[in-house]
Amino acid sequence: MSSVNGNGSDGRQYWRSLDEVADTPEFRDFMFNEFPGGAEALLDGPDRRGFLKVMGASMALAGAGLTGCRRWPREVIAPYASRPEGTIPGAPEQFATIVEHAGVATGVLATCYDGRPTKLEGNPEHSGSLGALTSWQQATILDLYDPDRTRQVHERPGGAAKAAKKTWNDFDAWWKKHAETLGDGAGLRFIAESSGSPSVQRMQRAIRAKFPKASWTTWDATGNSAERDGLEAALGGPYRPSYDLKNADVVVSFDCDFLGWHPDTLAMSRGWAARRNPDDGPMNRVHMAEPGLTVTGASADDRYAMTAADAARLAMAVAAEVAGLQLPAGADMAAAKAIAADLKAAAAGRSIVMAGASQPAAVHAACALMNEALGNVGTTVRYARISQPELNTSTLEQLVSDLNAGSVDTLVVIGGNPVWDTPADSGFASAITKAANTVHFGDQDDETSAACRWHLLRAHGTEAWGDGRAWDGTVSIRQPLIRPLWGGRSEIELLAGLAGADDTAGFDIVRRTFEELSGQPVTPAGQEPPFSGAWRRTLHDGVLAGGADALESPRVDRSKVAGLALPAAASGIEVQFGTGTLLGGRMGNNGWMQELPDPITKLTWDNAILLSEATCRQLGVGSGDMVQLSVGSGSVTGPVLMQPGQCDGTASVMLGYGRVWPGRVAFGAGFNAYPIRMASGLWSAGSGSITPVGGGEKLITTQDHYAIDTVGGEGTQARLPMLFREASEESFASHPNFARDRSHVISTLSLFEETQFEGADYRWGMATDLSKCTGCSACVTACQAENNIPIVGKDQVRMGREMHWLRIDRYYRFRKKGGEWDTSQPASVAMQPMTCQHCENAPCEQVCPVAATVHTSDGLNAMVYNRCVGTRYCSNNCPYKVRRFNFFDYFRRDPLRETGMLQVQPDYYIKQQSGGDPLRRMQFNPQVTVRMRGVMEKCTWCTQRIEKAKIETRNAWVKKSAAEKAADGRVVIPDGTITPACAQTCPTGAIVFGDLMDETSRVSAMHRDHRSYDLLGELNIKPRNRYMARITNPAGGERFPADFVAHGGHGHDDGHGKDADSSHDHDHDHDHDHDHDHDHNHDHGDHSQNEVHDG
Amino acid sequence: MGRYHFVFPRWSNLLLPAAIVVGLTAPLYVAFVVAFGFSPKTTDVGYQPVQPIPFSHAVHAGQLGIDCRYCHNTVEVAAKAAIPPTQTCMNCHVQIHPESDNLAPLWESYSTGRPVEWVRVHDLPDYAFFNHSAHVTGGVSCVECHGRVDTMETVWQEHTLSMGWCLECHRDPAPHVRNPDLVTQLEWGWDMDAAERLAEGERWHDINDLHPSQDCTTCHR
Repeated sequence: MSSVNGNGSDGRQYWRSLDEVADTPEFRDFMFNEFPGGAEALLDGPDRRGFLKVMGASMALAGAGLTGCRRWPREVIAPYASRPEGTIPGAPEQFATIVEHAGVATGVLATCYDGRPTKLEGNPEHSGSLGALTSWQQATILDLYDPDRTRQVHERPGGAAKAAKKTWNDFDAWWKKHAETLGDGAGLRFIAESSGSPSVQRMQRAIRAKFPKASWTTWDATGNSAERDGLEAALGGPYRPSYDLKNADVVVSFDCDFLGWHPDTLAMSRGWAARRNPDDGPMNRVHMAEPGLTVTGASADDRYAMTAADAARLAMAVAAEVAGLQLPAGADMAAAKAIAADLKAAAAGRSIVMAGASQPAAVHAACALMNEALGNVGTTVRYARISQPELNTSTLEQLVSDLNAGSVDTLVVIGGNPVWDTPADSGFASAITKAANTVHFGDQDDETSAACRWHLLRAHGTEAWGDGRAWDGTVSIRQPLIRPLWGGRSEIELLAGLAGADDTAGFDIVRRTFEELSGQPVTPAGQEPPFSGAWRRTLHDGVLAGGADALESPRVDRSKVAGLALPAAASGIEVQFGTGTLLGGRMGNNGWMQELPDPITKLTWDNAILLSEATCRQLGVGSGDMVQLSVGSGSVTGPVLMQPGQCDGTASVMLGYGRVWPGRVAFGAGFNAYPIRMASGLWSAGSGSITPVGGGEKLITTQDHYAIDTVGGEGTQARLPMLFREASEESFASHPNFARDRSHVISTLSLFEETQFEGADYRWGMATDLSKCTGCSACVTACQAENNIPIVGKDQVRMGREMHWLRIDRYYRFRKKGGEWDTSQPASVAMQPMTCQHCENAPCEQVCPVAATVHTSDGLNAMVYNRCVGTRYCSNNCPYKVRRFNFFDYFRRDPLRETGMLQVQPDYYIKQQSGGDPLRRMQFNPQVTVRMRGVMEKCTWCTQRIEKAKIETRNAWVKKSAAEKAADGRVVIPDGTITPACAQTCPTGAIVFGDLMDETSRVSAMHRDHRSYDLLGELNIKPRNRYMARITNPAGGERFPADFVAHGGHGHDDGHGKDADSSHDHDHDHDHDHDHDHDHNHDHGDHSQNEVHDG
Repeated sequence: MGRYHFVFPRWSNLLLPAAIVVGLTAPLYVAFVVAFGFSPKTTDVGYQPVQPIPFSHAVHAGQLGIDCRYCHNTVEVAAKAAIPPTQTCMNCHVQIHPESDNLAPLWESYSTGRPVEWVRVHDLPDYAFFNHSAHVTGGVSCVECHGRVDTMETVWQEHTLSMGWCLECHRDPAPHVRNPDLVTQLEWGWDMDAAERLAEGERWHDINDLHPSQDCTTCHR
């Protein structure tokens, strides 16, 4: 039996044994009463004495604290010895830098407090960001403080299991000697993730100079090789397409998730959203053909659920219609004709055709041809040249065969985790052991480093100098924000060292690359570069002026396109691979990404095999049942998730789970899907098979699944038209006030005393445009980073204790077929960001016995943590369910998945209150209180940002002259000064915050807009956030019938348009009663419920 | 003995004396708790830790008349009135008493680049977010919270810095504000009579339209 101190010896930082510490009947009773939901998930194995010992220790310390002679512990202030000019201690600074993945760099502004990077936000001046960031890009800041990051260079000579601790000097010395034996480098190979960095290219040239025969292999698990091959054939060069969605009327996507996990998603989301407001000019229309539901499919106007192979055939059929390619057999001609008609109807140069990674090269080439035929090239579609490694290259297959042939003496693995994520049939994992000397350079001592002789520390992206290229070729500089915490080096420093270059410091390399790129004379090695205003400007802006590779409009070689054929049709289950929230595994040990619900499935800490309802029925399985999924010689076992919108006969799996490497976050989450990912089917494999294997457990999703719960499903379907209001553009044109007419506020008498806002300086409000929300979940991560929101772990999410202040509700709208809900294909997918609505008549405030939640004069529903006693009445009384309770000091626990309540960090009971792991604490935003166990918390609309703006505006106002002050009516904070974290990062600009007292603010205009409505406004709680109804633009208006328009509405337009400007609608209509409403359900046959449900 | 006849057990005789004892001691206990809770020891008024260098504000700010902002230079623009870096001290002390034993820690910091670790005197709880710039710009002098630092050899805590104390001024700021240009003149107003001081406060209160917020989110985030 493990004792409390028993586990210290094996070097673990947490106790598994605490599970076993205190399982007594008394304790179980206590637990059962306090946490009924979690009682059975608790502890096994009794050691009551051990439990009492730790509890006793904590009591003793509490006592000691009370009898101290001061309330607070003695604190010291450590000022700078010499403070850098312009530095203000405790004030945040922002620096422009980049986040890079698979050769695509995105510009970010990193916020630092006293030298600690705490948050990443998009760089508005960078073409790949435009001010926004995706969730994974924001989450990379947490990797900097990952406690499992490797901290030590080490060596496993001769494949020894135990690594010997070494230093960089040891490696440098070894390499110096070893390089002499390499000669011209014939036995030297590199395998790396792709990179757009000009400095990496320069270092590759240095390597080539020293080892002319060395060869470089690029491997990205998340790469899109088919697109590159297809465009290389069609355009005659290494290109990638850059789309301008702002100017496209019709967008056709063949399984390209351009609003989701596409590398250029931010720019495309912004362009797409610019055309989603029906009042701002004509809307665009998105056709999406895909096997599994993605965020793009959920936002598409016309979605075609089909296998990837059918999507390819559809693409070729559309190409036949549009560009005269040969018509393939077996295509869905009805869909092809509809899509082609829509494309032809759009003006020349006003459409886009794109294909995703699952599509074969032929489809990518055909898309290029279609774009040319439609006149899009040069307007909505342009091409960026992909930068190439500047030394000999070889493919992964060549590398593996060279390894197996024994012709590789030294293999250097730069970044990535190829042992784990290369195709299962490539044989790389076994071939790597054939090289005499292997060097792994990475952040984690992972699967690949375990197979290598040397493991070298890679500096985190915020720790080193570097550079990179955006999707469209824009060059940006990577600035370090902090010195490497564990002494890592960047890849350019590594390459410079390997090449024996004169300059091996990252700054010197990047600075000289900059000189080269901007056409200045390159400073000789060892000399200080001269002062350069352009360099400072580039660092400040984050974008190299004039550094973008000019986008090109190359001609398509038609004969080459016609020569590409679709792969032969396969029989069996078609398996789709997705990169998912873990980005194929890169974010595996990142708690924010593990806990972020998948935008569609809402799964956390887990992946699943997504199957359609019909496929499930065929196999006799349901959600949570374990099945074996096989492709070729590989097979994996995982749980099934029945997914509406999934095409029959397909299975979607997310990559990046099921790690073998024991990172404290990554280990044990989900199953590994790489064993069935073959080189021939990297993203879509046609010949899979599924066998139920029995067993299984409930999957952990943050939102219930209608396909399972019929009773809940009925209720949700009945209420959905009230919660999420949508219409097609056509029906919106005829019922412009449908969103407001949907509900009736019967009484505006409040049950309790209403909050008074007289004399307030501001009236904060928010508006959320559902037309623009894609459900991408970037806002959820932004909120988590800004507001010190803890990671709770899988067992806590299972009990519904996730702490995200902002969630995205995802609903499926189903049609009725023969009296039953048809849950296989949703008529639409609703994405609704949900956070505290800051109700003016907040129900939570009425039930708090200690006034811990109260209203501020400017309309915030404030939560006072130090008053809260944890009754949770407020959460119970909140109609939106947005309040979160700290059941534990989550920051002081490890986010393990299968844990008991007592599984905490070993110093939990013996250390004074500290807020947890010192490394983890470095990420905290010092402007936001870190909450402790037992208090309620919820969205504050980033009150710290509001206070900052108020103070700064007021300080500036006080300094004005007396005459100016007298002239000002009130101190106005200019619209756009305050941006909450969610709104700041929203790629589509769906969330807008501002002052409702300012008539000219964007949020005021949105609140006045006829599309806006109060969610649950009938409760008369007066939420300060208003949603704007979603308008879709399906071809023909048929696919998404305007069923909700007449539902519960009046059926007449007279008189109701007039109240558009009253802030709380429908307090006027005492003149028509309920019966009147009900009668009108059937007045408009074309919009009535009946037809919808039958259709 | 009827069925419903109830007789108090013998031990219940002790209830009365017990109630008397409790009744007599309870007020004492309450008085003790209140006295303890409000005692300067608990509120930290008078807290005067020993600093690594016996720096005298009385000499520097008082006798020499160095403005507060010479050292605490971020006070007008930031939440924190920064403790000066060693470099600031050395602007003068490379020439003035450079050999003094008291300055040894300063020289050590200057040569090694390691900070001098001053002990924090005014310590707000971590869930309270105070902003110096908002107060100083509005005409709240340093002296209102920190007392006559220009007369202190070693700085002590003058006021309780409790929430009630903060709110006193947020509810009625006029007696505590002045011309924002005079905030670092700690001795200003000490020779005025109460009515004169109040009139001056009210004048600046109106000029700068001061209406400090009493919302929780003003300080708690």
